[in-house]
Amino acid sequence: MLPEMVRVAILGGALTLDRTAGWSLMLSQPIVGACLAGILLSPGPEWELWALRVPIGVGALLQMLLTDASLPAAQRQHDTATAGVVGTAVAVLGMARLHEAATVALGGALWVLIGVAAGLISAVGGGWVLRFHRARSRADLARAEHLAAGGQARAFEFLYWGGVLRIFTVGALWAWAASLLGLAALLVILPRLGDMLTARRIGFVLAALIGAALAAAYRAHVAGRKQAFRWVALGATVAVVLCVVFRRAAP
Amino acid sequence: MTEARVRGDDLATMTSRTLQIQALLTPERMQGMGFAFAILPALRRLYPDKEHLARALSRNLAYFATHPILAGFVVGATARREERRANGEPIDDAEIDAYKRSLASPLAALGDPLFWVTLRPFAGLVGILGITFLPGAGFIGPDLRVLLCPLLTLLTYNAVALPFRLFGVARGYASADRPGELLKSLRLAEWSQAVARAGALGYGALLALVALSLDFGSSRWGVDGRSRVASLTPLVLGAVIGYAGLRRWPGRGVEVGLGVLAAAAVFAATV
Repeated sequence: MLPEMVRVAILGGALTLDRTAGWSLMLSQPIVGACLAGILLSPGPEWELWALRVPIGVGALLQMLLTDASLPAAQRQHDTATAGVVGTAVAVLGMARLHEAATVALGGALWVLIGVAAGLISAVGGGWVLRFHRARSRADLARAEHLAAGGQARAFEFLYWGGVLRIFTVGALWAWAASLLGLAALLVILPRLGDMLTARRIGFVLAALIGAALAAAYRAHVAGRKQAFRWVALGATVAVVLCVVFRRAAP
Repeated sequence: MTEARVRGDDLATMTSRTLQIQALLTPERMQGMGFAFAILPALRRLYPDKEHLARALSRNLAYFATHPILAGFVVGATARREERRANGEPIDDAEIDAYKRSLASPLAALGDPLFWVTLRPFAGLVGILGITFLPGAGFIGPDLRVLLCPLLTLLTYNAVALPFRLFGVARGYASADRPGELLKSLRLAEWSQAVARAGALGYGALLALVALSLDFGSSRWGVDGRSRVASLTPLVLGAVIGYAGLRRWPGRGVEVGLGVLAAAAVFAATV
């Protein structure tokens, strides 16, 4: 498991850089982070198929729930960058170790639910962890002013690169620690749930979560936008037509 | 006396540094430290002596806040102003600061609605839609959606955002004398409107695909209307609670998601 956790940590660090340092290349979006984690984690040959499917479900649901269309200044400080990575790591690594404790997985839906829950909790915890970096940045400002006043450009650059390295380290450590904590919690909790995990209950919770995700996506894409309903209707029509065409064309 | 000039490789270094512009973000100066870090290659070129470099670096460490994707335009344009100052034009500290703010504020006001409010959610939505439209595992090979869906998200976003980042510093430097023209030429408001419409279109497609995937004809839904309603109940309940929660507490998708998850788990356990 050690190489996998190292990969999770490096991925978490890189995604935190994307979100916090200003790369903003979209690597830190949950769907990207979750799928990248799914590619990097390998729970064993018998789980390869699920290791590719579960991250997509975790990423898609987290993407809808964590997409906040308000401006960054108006948002609560959540670490959405590592949420997908932690969620996928907990789900995929937990699946390989606990499949005997949870015999009813409803086509992987249970692991998707676990991944989404882990991702959401990790987003809250990650927001607290990033406060450490923000506090250090404030301390760096005084030092930067001192260096600038002395014309010490190279020392200022070192200070800045140090800040970049700190973001990576904080993100990597958080992704690693949160994944391990999540997995440990899952190893303790899931076997105790045993008989409570029925297909009906898993389906109920997953459907409720999909409903909440659709509501969140509505807030992000439709609410408060001019003539949005026309475009929603057009999009729905196009999708239905495409589905009909594809189904007819399928052998 | 030879004229001090910013070189092409300085602009390239500044472009790469704008990628890190938010690394030391503080409430007091916002991206001030990042701005100074990004413009430093130009300042080094223009002010070889330590005293002038110190003054220039301190001046550019002041408060600065704009959209990170568009920061390059301000960095490039300010580098041009600094170049003129270094060559003897009477431009004082306050003028450079006012010039920076006059560009940064409209770029933030136009960039936020495009990149944060519309394009970022839309790019994520494209990736989600890809799950349905792209083929899963089959006789043609393994399930490549885990690779293709994030790729779709990245391509959608960066097809719009990356050109602004790559050419921002150079364009800002070249158009420093015509800031109004520069802002107009970016057509950010038009982009925002187009992407907002595409987002609503994508959401409509997502709704239709979710509805189609429910597969009402399947035996697992039961044959009578009552069992169908019972099966749809959690989806609708989740949507209603999620919508009400986000309307009451905007921007708290994480807490609302956890709340729905906990409520549904408790409800499912008791039924």
